[in-house]
Amino acid sequence: MSPRPFRDARGARRAPGAAGAWSAGGARPEAYTVAAVNAMAKEMLETALPPLWVQGEVTGWKRHTSGHCYFGLRDRSAQIRCVLFRSDAQRLPAEPEEGMEVRALGRVTLYEARGEYQFVAREIEGMGAGGLWRIAFERLYRKLDAEGLLAPERKRPLPRHPAAVAVVTSPVGAALQDILRVISVRAPWTRVLLSPARVQGDGAPSDLARAIRLAGRSGLADVIIVGRGGGSTEDLWAFNDEVVARAIASSPVPVISAVGHEIDTTIADLVADLRAATPSAAAERAVPDRAAMARELSTAEDRVRSGLARWVLKRRDRIENARNALTRSVRRTSRRRKELLSQYGEKLDALSPLGALRRGFAVPLDRSGRILRSIDAFEAGDTFGLRVADGTVPCRVEDTDLARENG
Amino acid sequence: MTDPPLTLERRMERLDAIVAKLESEGLELDDALALFEEGVSHIREVERMLQDADLRIERLIAGPGGTVETEPVSRDPG
Repeated sequence: MSPRPFRDARGARRAPGAAGAWSAGGARPEAYTVAAVNAMAKEMLETALPPLWVQGEVTGWKRHTSGHCYFGLRDRSAQIRCVLFRSDAQRLPAEPEEGMEVRALGRVTLYEARGEYQFVAREIEGMGAGGLWRIAFERLYRKLDAEGLLAPERKRPLPRHPAAVAVVTSPVGAALQDILRVISVRAPWTRVLLSPARVQGDGAPSDLARAIRLAGRSGLADVIIVGRGGGSTEDLWAFNDEVVARAIASSPVPVISAVGHEIDTTIADLVADLRAATPSAAAERAVPDRAAMARELSTAEDRVRSGLARWVLKRRDRIENARNALTRSVRRTSRRRKELLSQYGEKLDALSPLGALRRGFAVPLDRSGRILRSIDAFEAGDTFGLRVADGTVPCRVEDTDLARENG
Repeated sequence: MTDPPLTLERRMERLDAIVAKLESEGLELDDALALFEEGVSHIREVERMLQDADLRIERLIAGPGGTVETEPVSRDPG
């Protein structure tokens, strides 16, 4: 069972059984340098084992200041030392927890300088549902919730008729076109303010946060839409980033999140004042509908006109009522006056000479119209007039032997 | 002292208030007339605005000292 032939550090083909083994004759075998042995071993390992997935439990996870992560993967009977270099570690949604079951893609190799066998990982996935994505999401959720940033009471109502809408999204994506189309149909008078940002990949979270803050700082927007079209969990990951969540939470005006997806809610959705399922839906919620407003205005006009008419009628009624009241009052007064007048009339009547005449009294008058009151005014043969109610009777005194009353 | 032009939102709020007042009790005819005139002016102004069909799109740009400026953009920003 002799070892297979190989190339040494100088590139020469060696057969260990030949040059290095004990040979009959007693010559000492040639020794390799440590570096040479390690180099050979590394090459053998990397040739024999291509990149592969390894599953195991994470243990002793440490992130160095360099950004490289060192950890162990183990199962019941074996373990292997692992490293995840900074450039790959940056893409991790979250660092695995101690004891967490993961799968790692990478290759087995030898760290020559220290002669250490190790596994260089390129990617790590959590084995639980949602994997490391879910871990990251839940950690941030708990953190923001503890600060009260997810509370329903924080959600602000949207303005019903915004003068301007800010849109934070990719300038070249479909999301922007969807939003513009909806607004131009529903409310073209609305001012649209674009705050462009990368919505996925490296640097997207800080770019989104910057663009959201810019929109808020402008003081020009009444509402902000933050969104993108659909994509995978990894594509949408910027909207689960803490800096984006904080930028949304500190916006001075209401924010509508519009991450087009059918998968899960993002942290941005939870922090925003309103969550819309798609960018188009966000635009529909952000602006009023022109046709609906025209109807609203028509109704308002009817109500304003009839509202005024009501007051005119009320005023006319009041005038009418006042006039009737006056008339009634005048009539009442006249009637009373008439009654009084007639009462006085009767009294006067009773007291007047005409009344006396009508009652049958007669008044003797001499030629000059003087009233003859006493017997002494009469002499036999005199003529006088006897005034009765309806005329004067010519009379002559017959006899002065008149009976005096009361002796 | 001139006030800034009324925003759409302000006009609609004012219109709601005017309708409510006209439909309430206790108005003098003079007040009702004034409210009527104001209401109609808001309605006409908003109707005129609804006719505006051109969507204006602008890009926000960070200016010096934390200010924000705008520049116009065509419908297809690339």
